Amino acid sequence: MDKLIEYWPMVVSGLWTTVWVAALTIVLAAIGALLLGPLRLSSSEAVRTCSMLLVELVRGPSGLVWLFWVFYALPLVPGMPRFGPAIAAVIVMSAIGAAYASEIVRSGIESVHRGQADACHALGLNPRQAQLKVIIPQALTQIVPGFGSLAADIVKWTAIVSFVGVQDIMWVANTIRGETYQTVTIYTLLAAIYWLVCLMTSTAFRLLERALPLNRAMAAVNAAGAPSLDNQGELQGGARS
Amino acid sequence: MSWEWKFVWDMMPQLLLGVWYTIVVTVLSSVITLFGGLLLAILESVSTRIGRMFVRFWLELFRGIPVLVLLYFGFYVLPELGITLSGLAIGVLVLGFVYSAFCSGVYRGALITIPNGLRDACVALNLSPYTTWSKVLVPIMVRRAMPALANYVLMLFRSSSFLFALGVPVLLGEAQQVASQTYHFLEAYTVAGVFYLAINIPFVYLLHRLKVKHG
Repeated sequence: MDKLIEYWPMVVSGLWTTVWVAALTIVLAAIGALLLGPLRLSSSEAVRTCSMLLVELVRGPSGLVWLFWVFYALPLVPGMPRFGPAIAAVIVMSAIGAAYASEIVRSGIESVHRGQADACHALGLNPRQAQLKVIIPQALTQIVPGFGSLAADIVKWTAIVSFVGVQDIMWVANTIRGETYQTVTIYTLLAAIYWLVCLMTSTAFRLLERALPLNRAMAAVNAAGAPSLDNQGELQGGARS
Repeated sequence: MSWEWKFVWDMMPQLLLGVWYTIVVTVLSSVITLFGGLLLAILESVSTRIGRMFVRFWLELFRGIPVLVLLYFGFYVLPELGITLSGLAIGVLVLGFVYSAFCSGVYRGALITIPNGLRDACVALNLSPYTTWSKVLVPIMVRRAMPALANYVLMLFRSSSFLFALGVPVLLGEAQQVASQTYHFLEAYTVAGVFYLAINIPFVYLLHRLKVKHG
């Protein structure tokens, strides 16, 4: 244990790498999903099929296979760029994260009661306004919890970046193990660190969840002691399925 | 470096061996996952505090830690405790345990949708707890959980590539070996990726069918 104290700076820099890779990936995956998710529900059959094929292509092979392909094979294709290991990892994990999250966005939008879209139509909102001002804000109540657990998964995915030489916490742990042979202590600490980072990620999303418009509105209704909103049962039904 | 079909042909036997190992790993770990998840869900439902605490601990342990860390843990730490297993056995056990934690949630979700009246009926008919579970509740749980369970089997297939880190010759491991021996990185990794995609397709189709059938 005493010997491990000397490695403190290395551990901090490894942890920092893991955190920024994960944070960047989570943000990019969220942006990608918000762009890709509505395409899955497009009124055009061709757009729906293409976006479905894209999602299946991206999440078909695991992140590890994609990472090796993008890092080792892609630069050999004429005219293709050579990415640094960290950039390649962030690109791959963001793409896969966006593919999984687009499913969450799609089912979130589907869970919003149909009557809401009809009401928008009746009120003369155009489809864009209806999506942005009515449907998406309500869908977020379903999307954010699902995305929160995906974000915790993304933190765990980042362990693969050590394979291409990014010096994240996993890489640091393996390096220290190679020098000190304190295997049990090192891997136990490593597991505890990942567990804590995942816990912090899901806690952050739970806090975000509480700040969502529909949840705030429902909390206010419940606090006032009024009978529940009409579509509350609908939403809970959606959460269960 | 350009694409050469000759090398693709030459590396086929090695890559196909990788496909075989990938399928073996997926099938074995699926068995552990599907039964383990069911056992965890039943344990959580029937047990008192200690059993529940065990289940919660199991879920936290296997859901909060990356598969890779658990694999290294099994590979390097278990021998120090006197347990020596092959890389394949450790990989299958770790994947099985991790995904059984995820699957138990699916079974639990299916269990709570079963109306209480059904359990009351079993009590009224004086069925033993064993009969109640094995003949009444489990078949319903399995049927309702089917689409989500198939999804986790697909995830297991995808995660099987991690086992290359322990030297198990899964498809990615074989591809890496071929690539480093021949320096034909493009062919090796591309063909491996195409194989992974190709094995995915029947899964995705099956999942789609299950979703349509079970809503």
